[in-house]
Amino acid sequence: MGTAVLGAICGMLGSFAVLRKQSLLGDAISHAALPGIAIAFLITGVKDSNIFLLGALVSGLLGTFWIRSITKKTHLKSDTALGLTLSLFFGFGMLLLTFIQKQPNASQAGLDTYLFGQAATLLEKDVWLIAIVAGISLLILFIFWKEFKILLFDEDYTKTLGFNTRFIDVLITTFIVITIVLGLQTVGVILMSAMLLAPAAAARQWTNSLGIMVILAAIFGAFSGVVGTGISTVSGNLSTGPVIVLVAASIVLFSFIFSPNRGLLFREIRFRKNRNNIKMHKTLAFMYGIAKTHQNISHPHAIKILNGFQGFSKKSLQELVDLNYVKIDGQQWSMTQEGYQTAENLYDQQIKKSDE
Amino acid sequence: METNYAITVDDLTVAYNYKPVLWDIDLAIPEGVLMCIVGPNGAGKSTLIKSILGIIKPIAGTVSVFGKPYKKQRSLVAYVPQKGSVDWDFPTTALDVVMMGTYGSLGWIKRPGQKEKKASLEALEKVGMLPFKNRQISQLSGGQQQRIFLARALVQNASIYFMDEPFQGVDATTEKAIINILKELRKAGKTVVVVHHDLQTVPEYFDWVTFLNVKKIATGPVKDIFNDDNLTKTYGINYKVSVQE
Amino acid sequence: MNSAQIIIQIIIALVAIACAIPGTFLVLRKMSLISDAISHSILLGIVIGFFIVEDIASPLLIVLAALAGIVTVILVEYIQKTGLVKEDTAIGLVFPALFSIGVILIAKNANDVHLDIDSVMVGDLSFAPFDLLQINCIEGVPDSCINLGPKAIWVIGTILVITLTLLITFFKELKVSTFDAGLAAALGFSPIIMHYGLMTVSSITIVGAFDAVGPILVVALMIAPAATAYLMTKDLKKMLMLSCFLGVFAAISGYWLAHVLDASIAGSMTTVLAILFLLVYEPIITSALVSISIAIAFFFYQYYQELLVHGVNFEHLPLGEKIHTVFSKFILLDFIYCIGMAVSLAGFLIYILPKRGVIYGYYKVQQQKTEIMLLVFLLHIRNHEEESERHVKHLNEHINWQRLRSKTIVDLALKNNMVTIDDSIISLTDKGEEFTEKAIDYIITNKDAEIEEMKDDFFLFRG
Repeated sequence: MGTAVLGAICGMLGSFAVLRKQSLLGDAISHAALPGIAIAFLITGVKDSNIFLLGALVSGLLGTFWIRSITKKTHLKSDTALGLTLSLFFGFGMLLLTFIQKQPNASQAGLDTYLFGQAATLLEKDVWLIAIVAGISLLILFIFWKEFKILLFDEDYTKTLGFNTRFIDVLITTFIVITIVLGLQTVGVILMSAMLLAPAAAARQWTNSLGIMVILAAIFGAFSGVVGTGISTVSGNLSTGPVIVLVAASIVLFSFIFSPNRGLLFREIRFRKNRNNIKMHKTLAFMYGIAKTHQNISHPHAIKILNGFQGFSKKSLQELVDLNYVKIDGQQWSMTQEGYQTAENLYDQQIKKSDE
Repeated sequence: METNYAITVDDLTVAYNYKPVLWDIDLAIPEGVLMCIVGPNGAGKSTLIKSILGIIKPIAGTVSVFGKPYKKQRSLVAYVPQKGSVDWDFPTTALDVVMMGTYGSLGWIKRPGQKEKKASLEALEKVGMLPFKNRQISQLSGGQQQRIFLARALVQNASIYFMDEPFQGVDATTEKAIINILKELRKAGKTVVVVHHDLQTVPEYFDWVTFLNVKKIATGPVKDIFNDDNLTKTYGINYKVSVQE
Repeated sequence: MNSAQIIIQIIIALVAIACAIPGTFLVLRKMSLISDAISHSILLGIVIGFFIVEDIASPLLIVLAALAGIVTVILVEYIQKTGLVKEDTAIGLVFPALFSIGVILIAKNANDVHLDIDSVMVGDLSFAPFDLLQINCIEGVPDSCINLGPKAIWVIGTILVITLTLLITFFKELKVSTFDAGLAAALGFSPIIMHYGLMTVSSITIVGAFDAVGPILVVALMIAPAATAYLMTKDLKKMLMLSCFLGVFAAISGYWLAHVLDASIAGSMTTVLAILFLLVYEPIITSALVSISIAIAFFFYQYYQELLVHGVNFEHLPLGEKIHTVFSKFILLDFIYCIGMAVSLAGFLIYILPKRGVIYGYYKVQQQKTEIMLLVFLLHIRNHEEESERHVKHLNEHINWQRLRSKTIVDLALKNNMVTIDDSIISLTDKGEEFTEKAIDYIITNKDAEIEEMKDDFFLFRG
């Protein structure tokens, strides 16, 4: 249940991350949250997921801020800034984690579930927390829908319309960070970014409307959350995170291949069809060239003379026959009236095209 | 002077980091002209437009629109950004993009309704893109995308239009269509400012011109100041264009 | 220092150099995050290799792991080419998927063998010195082997030698293809070969370093030294040297930090790298913070020992309360000591560090800004003959500067003898005229260096 809601908000907000070309921000933030968790534990010595969340939130936001300021103030590019934040924060977090593990009072077991995530550790109140955050972000999304959309599409233009772009920007980013932090417990630091990206990337393949994309992403996210948790509970010792991610990845793969508009499969089919069409038309045009020389267009010719022509094949000839453009009589072919006219039009079209 | 100025720029200076891009620009654009800004690459043409529009903060100078500060007059100004500045793979339709033009007058939170939709459809019609209203924007050609952008600005129903290189990557038909719309706008008494590249077409398309290269070189009616002297001053080397008679 | 410690230090130093070299090119080519992707995906290669040979030490594992890395790169590029999603999304999709498969395979099948996720994630060096490479062993005869030293040194050493050889041989090609792929192609160096060559080397290096430091910290070792070096120099050769040096420095000092804290070596290496980066990025703030923490840690440690001796039972207190107890013993004199130590340390650090970062940067930007404003002002005066435009009051109104700012600038101009004010009307002196003219000339022709030089010539007082 918790993972379903979590998957849904991840999908929703992930759509924005993907469209803003901040896909890997999620990766960096989730890694950056680790030292926050460790420090929260070090200071309080209590294992309370709320306090951990707070620590994670603070260091996650710090990481975001760091990435921004590095790209703004130095000539280092955003990929380097992301990589730096990700690895340095995580390394520091690892240092603290191993340090904690060596402490004598360490009731530390459980901290490492944050690495890979374990949905079983979710308590009822955690689920409530997730649900509340989901509700708030849904509300915000609904209220500022128009503003989000225009900022994502065209930031400069948004400014000229008089909107405070920084405010919208901070709003989106904050919610993305909060979502990531919430997801850590279930999916884990390392795989959190996929949780954010995969549903959005899959949803993008099915629709060209932002609204539908966000809804679809939420559905995909919830679906992978439920199925992933289900599989991981059934098979016992599997961490939830990897299973959820694999489910989400399969959805992405499926979408890449089978989506009707952008999918690779249909693209290939369209491509083939097009090529066949071109082949057929070429053959027809060639025939037209021959038939034109005779007074009677349906004068029969030997099929053999077509053999030298590139693009001619038995298949394309058969297709022409099926379309009733050409008649075959033994080893001879002849053009029908219909075929002749089509070919003539084809010819005209080509001339027009080259004129433009 | 009795002329009404649509835009008055006073002593505008812009610098990226420590690098000055625009220097002490004084510019007054009379109401109702169709003006182009020309200059070599890196002369600060886009920067000038962007700083007039408040997208870039200048380090000195003031901009006023019809005699009042720009911030108070924002609704009178529409902007058409460079086509390359946005991600055309964004999941949205042509009509949606045009509708964005109405967001400014709507303000925060309020949603566009039937009235806005009608206005957007009319704008689409004007640029000849009505049949494509439900097309995904990545499936439009470069010229069509530019027309959508123009429609978005038209919807704003502004008095002054700023366009950043609208003829870049656009086919000849669209170029003609756009310039016709611009001329119509001028007839309706609107002011249009265009960043332009193709010097050959300046006399044909525009009636007012500003030469810019970090400093303002000259500004005025095309027939008075569009000459080899100013071109040489702007482009540095001995620049000769065959201005078509 | 015993020999095991020395060996570990040699290993991590070698790892650091081996990572820094390809890392530099990744940073320059804006492909830093590919290293992140590769380092995660090779887990799958290792796992599959393990299932085939059932031997964690087999070289086949390394080959398969490197292969998995290359497959990742190819997959990312393939997905990107379909145009369905952007590059960063492609990276973010591929590696978690491959990594998940790896994790699940381990959990399903390798539960009882030595291949648990934690050690894979963090890396473990403690046993590296004792894992010796032995040849000529005769079955059943003890001590018949010829000892060649720790295996890890051989592995990473070989990788390093290969990397260095490739680097020296193809330095020119790498340089050209990094800065201008088009030119490289025109000159006949295929950028594709360069690209995949670099990717292969990176994969192999990551695999080699993987054992020692774990996947994410490999990323730190690749990117952080290179990024830090890039902030300090823009010369490729210097950048390579610097990043190697920084890497080794972080490796050795990280080792000792880990020793003191009794924590993971990889974690402390990264922490040192982070501090190094911050020192270059924000020298003043970081120096202050680092110095203060060192000073506090120093005193804290002293008291801690003292209290332990006095038999205070610390064992079961959470750290927060430990800190509280210790600090309750802190007295004013110690506080003054502490500050003194911090200040002197910070002073030293700031002195030796390159001048960059927020505070210095802010000062520098302000100076530049004032000087640009001065130029704006001079240019304005020069452009306008009419007295109304040259009136002092005009500055406030039209140039849109606040009173204070215009006063600063007019004062600066006066101090430098560039203008004279006569009855509130400002006019340029000859010197001002000359300066303005030259400045404009340089600005239009984009000669930044000359502007700085000229400023040195003309200014008696800087902004």
